[in-house]
Amino acid sequence: MHYPEPISKLMESFMKLPGIGPKTAARLAFFVLGMKEDTVLDFAKALVDAKRNLSFCSNCGHITDVDPCHICQDPQRDRTTICVVQDPKDVIAMEKMRDYTGLYHVLQGAISPMDGIGPEDINVPSLLRRLQDEEVAELILATNPTIEGEATAMYISRLVKPSGIKTTRIAHGLPVGGDLEYADEVTLSKALEGRREL
Amino acid sequence: MRIDRLELLNYRNYESLDLAFSPEINVFIGENAQGKTNIMESLYVLSMAKSHRASNDKELIRWETDYGKIKADVYRKYGKLPLEITLSKKGKSAKVNHLEQRRLSDYIGQLNVVMFAPEDLNLVKGSPQVRRRFIDMEIGQISPLYLHDLLTYQKLLKQRNHILKQNYGKKIVDDVMFDVYTEQFIEAAVKIIRKRYQFMDLLQKWAEPIHQGISRGLEQLQIRYQPISGLQPEWTSKEMASFLEQKLAEVRKRELERGLTLVGPHRDELQFFVNGYDVQTYGSQGQQRTTALSLKLAEIELIKQEVGEAPVLLLDDVLSELDDYRQSHLLNTIKGSVQTFVTTTSVEGIQHETIQSARLFEVSQGTVKE
Ligand SMILES: Nc1ncnc2c1ncn2[C@@H]1O[C@H](COP(=O)(O)OP(=O)(O)OP(=O)(O)O)[C@@H](O)[C@H]1O
Ligand SMILES: [Mg+2]
Ligand SMILES: [Zn+2]
Repeated sequence: MHYPEPISKLMESFMKLPGIGPKTAARLAFFVLGMKEDTVLDFAKALVDAKRNLSFCSNCGHITDVDPCHICQDPQRDRTTICVVQDPKDVIAMEKMRDYTGLYHVLQGAISPMDGIGPEDINVPSLLRRLQDEEVAELILATNPTIEGEATAMYISRLVKPSGIKTTRIAHGLPVGGDLEYADEVTLSKALEGRREL
Repeated sequence: MRIDRLELLNYRNYESLDLAFSPEINVFIGENAQGKTNIMESLYVLSMAKSHRASNDKELIRWETDYGKIKADVYRKYGKLPLEITLSKKGKSAKVNHLEQRRLSDYIGQLNVVMFAPEDLNLVKGSPQVRRRFIDMEIGQISPLYLHDLLTYQKLLKQRNHILKQNYGKKIVDDVMFDVYTEQFIEAAVKIIRKRYQFMDLLQKWAEPIHQGISRGLEQLQIRYQPISGLQPEWTSKEMASFLEQKLAEVRKRELERGLTLVGPHRDELQFFVNGYDVQTYGSQGQQRTTALSLKLAEIELIKQEVGEAPVLLLDDVLSELDDYRQSHLLNTIKGSVQTFVTTTSVEGIQHETIQSARLFEVSQGTVKE
């Protein structure tokens, strides 16, 4: 079907979002046409603001609107424990659980040779720097239970081993091959309890 | 288990099809290129979520349509189990009892089929790859966990090969990373090897007496599964792992020269011996055929034992190829206990008795008449 250009452009934009195909994009585009102009402007502004005002914490790599992020700044947090995750979404999942009081380090990915992603391409160097500069006693490796997540955890634990810092791997109460963000909070807290030393 | 009803929508040359089957023997008769194998294939896809002959799922969707569907009412000993596979250009989805399955490994195993098609004669003659595929598909049916382990293995192999390629002809730059991937690779390899040993053992146990029966007591069949030479089946996982580690270290230089992993179950071999002779090299055509038939019949028994229910048997174009003696041997084995689907271009080569008790379907240009 042929749409007027402004609509097909809008559809094209919607289709850049995950899980949205041409049909849904068309539905959303026509819905926007029926919205009040103010609402549409607010919507557009919210999109731009989110992009402009959010950045990554220079310390832990989590997504934030202040730098360092709220978690890194919080004096109540246990600064001797760092939980290493792949994605900001994982931090949010862990925070929902309210059990964990240490700090985080967000890798923004996992080591995957076939995708050309090596340790320097994710936040591994900044993690090693933190371990040198801060008083860290324990590193919890909570990367995803996938092949790459597992390899990344093993890789980090080998690099850290000589320093004497204790490294533990989050136990797999998690579904095999699943991502951390899908794990419900109960399994997640179970997994955290049962972490094993690497 | 059995299939009571099959519906096809835009599958191969079928626009829409709705068939009810006999719990015993169903025979599809038709000229060449009318759609007989397509029906068998659809039943196979229903079981394995993958075609036995097409490498690309898109080939299965009827030309000039966007998606195809296979639906069936399967009966297992605890009752009715509707299965559904939807194929689209973007991918496929699978439902069990109307519920979408998130992982294909959750889907596979709901319906077990054993397919015997002319290509299966290649099982003995063909390349090692054909035999590895046979092992993988058969173990996968009775152990979805194996499929999961296999996927993991294949992915690790790919990752490891990538590291080798990146360091092509040189030394490994980041050897911590290489070691980490190698260690995971070995762990996955051992899991695969152990499962294959276990399965081949069972297969041997069932195939031997069956082969003896088909050969009128004249032939002794032996299946030999040969992973990395020197590896012993009775070793513990740990012993196997350190053996693999050592073997990998030995070939490290060559691996770097070629950018490829040279040791592991992706290079496994399966051999068949009749009375001590390698059937692949020395067997007559008849012996190769009998070996393939014995393996297929053994699979039926194996699934019966492991799953607790008989699989569905698909005989594509092979029944009329077998001589009378082998035909009756086959038919006696399945009689009354295994639902069977047969295709043929004419009923002439098939025993009269079988045809009499079977439900017959005529296949012509994408339509089927009972
Ligand atoms: N995706 C598709 N869409 C439409 N038609 C298809 C598709 N794929 C294959 N066909 C058609 O299906 C027919 C082949 O069907 P099939 O392989 O089932 O034949 P058959 O009856 O088993 O023949 P034979 O006796 O030669 O084995 C061919 O006519 C082919 O053109
Ligand atoms: Mg055919
Ligand atoms: Zn931070």
